[in-house]
Amino acid sequence: MYDFRYHRPATISEAVDLFRQCDDGQYLAGGQTLIPVMKQRLASPSDLIDLARIDELKDISATESAITIGGMTTHAAIAASSEVRSRLAALADLASGIGDPHVRNRGTLGGSIANNDPTADYPAAIVALGATIITDRRRIEGDAFFTNIFETALEEGELIRAVEFPIPERAAYAKFPNPASRYAIAGVMVSKFADIVRVAVTGAGPFVFRVPDMEAALARDFSPEAIEKLQIPAGDLNADLHASPAYRAHLVSILAKRAVQAAKE
Amino acid sequence: MTTVEIGQALKRSEDFRLLTGKGKYVDDISLDGEARAVILRSPHAHARIVEIDRAAAAALDGVHLIVTGQDWLAEGFGPIPTRSAVNKNKDGSPLSEPPRHCLAIDRVRYVGEAVALIVADSEKIARDALELIDVTYEELPAVTDPRKALADGAPRIWDDIPNNLCVDFELGDEAATKAAFEAADHVISLDVENNRVTGVPIEPRGLVGTYDAETDTYLLYNSTQNVHAIRKTIAEDIFKISADKIHHIAPDVGGGFGAKNSVYPEPALVLYAAKQLQRPVKWIAERSESFLADTHGRNQSSKVQLALDSDGTFRALRTDTVGDIGAYCWTIGPFTPTGGSARTQGGPYAFETMYYSSRAVFTNTMPMDPYRGAGRPEGTYQIERIVEAAASQLGLDPVALRRKNLIPAEKLPMKSPMGLDIDSGNFPEVFERTLALSDRDGYSERVAASKAAGRARGFAIAPYLECTGGGPKEFAGIQFAADGTITLSVGSQGTGTGHETAMPQILSAKLGLPVEKIRYRQGDTDATPLGGGHGGSRCLEVGGGAVVRATEAVIDKAKAIAAHLLNSQADDISFADGQFSDAKTNQSTPMEEVVRASFETGRLPQDMEPGCLDSDAIFERGIISCPNGCHAAEVEVDPETGAVAVANYWIVDDFGTIINPLLADGQVMGGVAQGIGQALYEDAVYDEDTGQLLAGSLMDYALPRADLIPNMVIRYYEDAPTAKNPLGVKGAGEAGCCPAPPVIVNAILNALKPYGVTDLSMPVTSEKVWQAIHDAKP
Repeated sequence: MYDFRYHRPATISEAVDLFRQCDDGQYLAGGQTLIPVMKQRLASPSDLIDLARIDELKDISATESAITIGGMTTHAAIAASSEVRSRLAALADLASGIGDPHVRNRGTLGGSIANNDPTADYPAAIVALGATIITDRRRIEGDAFFTNIFETALEEGELIRAVEFPIPERAAYAKFPNPASRYAIAGVMVSKFADIVRVAVTGAGPFVFRVPDMEAALARDFSPEAIEKLQIPAGDLNADLHASPAYRAHLVSILAKRAVQAAKE
Repeated sequence: MTTVEIGQALKRSEDFRLLTGKGKYVDDISLDGEARAVILRSPHAHARIVEIDRAAAAALDGVHLIVTGQDWLAEGFGPIPTRSAVNKNKDGSPLSEPPRHCLAIDRVRYVGEAVALIVADSEKIARDALELIDVTYEELPAVTDPRKALADGAPRIWDDIPNNLCVDFELGDEAATKAAFEAADHVISLDVENNRVTGVPIEPRGLVGTYDAETDTYLLYNSTQNVHAIRKTIAEDIFKISADKIHHIAPDVGGGFGAKNSVYPEPALVLYAAKQLQRPVKWIAERSESFLADTHGRNQSSKVQLALDSDGTFRALRTDTVGDIGAYCWTIGPFTPTGGSARTQGGPYAFETMYYSSRAVFTNTMPMDPYRGAGRPEGTYQIERIVEAAASQLGLDPVALRRKNLIPAEKLPMKSPMGLDIDSGNFPEVFERTLALSDRDGYSERVAASKAAGRARGFAIAPYLECTGGGPKEFAGIQFAADGTITLSVGSQGTGTGHETAMPQILSAKLGLPVEKIRYRQGDTDATPLGGGHGGSRCLEVGGGAVVRATEAVIDKAKAIAAHLLNSQADDISFADGQFSDAKTNQSTPMEEVVRASFETGRLPQDMEPGCLDSDAIFERGIISCPNGCHAAEVEVDPETGAVAVANYWIVDDFGTIINPLLADGQVMGGVAQGIGQALYEDAVYDEDTGQLLAGSLMDYALPRADLIPNMVIRYYEDAPTAKNPLGVKGAGEAGCCPAPPVIVNAILNALKPYGVTDLSMPVTSEKVWQAIHDAKP
């Protein structure tokens, strides 16, 4: 690890101001990616702005139609939240399957989506649920947030305040974990709202994507059988030690069916 | 006072310390004025070192020493020799052993090879300096696949070693085997791959070294499995000094699995730096460094052939193996795919004849050394896969085929066609007990339940026979103190494996002394005059044997004291249950009283001195023991995704006498988990083109996690202790990972039989299963 300056602001505005003053600053959320990368000397921010003490980033609040979760809420807190569990169980399930207990107790929603690892779980939920990312300066539609591998719509220094998840009629997440990292080799979140069905895939491609064919089929008939014959093309999918593009394409079909089945139950 | 028995499930006395973070590992040792060492490692699989420019690094404030291969040679230090017991080719010529120095000399031959040592005031400064060293490499063609390395025209890793062949080897009767194959009704052939794995001990390797100029001696703390042998090599072969100049200590060691039995370059580098700088030097491996630079294991490609008659009777077995040993011979690298894999060929089955041939081959990869089992798991996998293939191809019941060919109990003792001395056991009985344990009656119901859940269930059973290894000789010393404490020092060594409990348990049981009064010492060249450390499932066999011999020496002397106390003749005194008794006078006195008396001149016979009970013993085994047993497993396969889950696991093991069933269970469970890891998850795979280690982190190298390991039902067959050592033990440490890989793979193939899948290679990943189902579809 290289040397860096450490800051621990108490408010969002203080954090954003600090970032502006830094040479090459970096927000520190749960540190489950950033710290290992720094230890390997693959990242060398001049300043770390630790968000851990900003209490306004840790709220979970609910209205009739949505649950809003602060950016610094840990995966474990989301998994354990009775509000999330009772009204958006698919998200609680997703959070409870991230990494291992250590990762879940340190890693955060905001940190995960800002990093946009192609195999992270949350992007599937953000896109499939049509969530909105609320930052220190604006609201960003979930569909527009993830822009490329490890890239997002966040501007320099823009800080995720919270994510607002609309409550669907039904939703479920099905994941096939990488046996080593427990990231998603493929993960599919399916949601059904009164007016729309969304299918979002993580892990399989460079970043989260929707499957319009499946959405259209499920809008007509929300059942596993409706997408029985639908395969996504393997062409652009990820290849690594643990799965080829063809296998990932196959898994996406299986996981989508299983997610629909689970959402119906 | 608590005396304990052999066979008692005594809880581990070290657990409180280790589980509450109070263990003392190398990284917990920090000495005043300590400097930190880091190693610059090769980024290339094969390259010539054109130039090493260290000027910028050396100029950095706080950097004290930079050492390259040429600097090392200039000091006159010797190369590290291999100790492979197989050291000759078939034709009697010596194996090809390239020189292995502590730093690469002018050429690097695998990714991670040590190129330079950097020592600085802190780890951070040392790493900063490491980045400033500018090495100019000229890349050379690399080869990572041992079969390709053998081919004519393959890149040569060593200019003077044709076809990258280290040694060729054979064992058994080639002509008789050929004749048996020609006479047999059927010949079954199968290519069997044992995948490359690495130990991943939870504690990475680490060192703290000091040098004392006044006495010209070194002190080395090392996370190692073998203080004596490694010290000897460092002292005599590298530094060319006498071994007693180095005091070598292994404090608590967090796992080894064989990888800490090797002679690595880092200890000599650290000691050299400590002497140069006249200050302590510490080196701790990072996890990524462990993947690159801890020895790997397995990686054998074998053609296995089984000759059998129409009624299923096995006639002969023939195996031809290409074994990867990496870029150097390392410590005993060439032995594993040759002698190490040959001895237990054929497992517990009866064969008229066998022939094993093998070639150990250099590649541009991290060298190989023993990995839990070191050849016996490979052999078990080979025989169990070919037996399963024979049953499948000939339409025979795999259970019946195995039962038919097990060596009958009445044939023991015997010598196997590979020369293995099989003295004790009852393989058919162990097999039947395992079958009975595995609830075959309920199987069809479980298959139906799996099917209803969309999954395919499969079953397999794998009897196995392996053997112990490692140093044949071991020392134990017992010292009594006037305050009642007893110090037991043994030259074998635990690495978190419970020796601190087992060895005192033996002493307590044999002498009837309180176990909590016993202090245990191991892993210290000052504690025992010799020691074979940890490896080859040897510790209870030879270490425990030495403890028994030392207790016998204590009893002999104590009898004389007891006779004196009881006014009897020593010949009339018998010792049992901690009491010395004279049947003639009906008088007795406990061992504790005799120990107290041994410190009081007035209560001792005239020819005995206070402290006279202290006793040492060396036990040397004549012949290695043969642990054996039988494992059975059920797996569930999700045919849609290819995911495999191990559903049930049953074990009957014959380790001879069980000293402590809790500790034995721990060894069995760990071994099975490691075997499941090899079967389903672990693969230390190199990129064929670049020679880069692809699975070089825990994000890519999949270890089995607790939630993937099934509950295991474990039973022991204790009716056939061996007479090869005083305790009748056969060794338990490596057995679990022998049958686990084949029983898992065969159970998966059994589940996939309806899909037409007949072969799968380890690790059996979900994608391989899916692909196999996909490919087998008509």
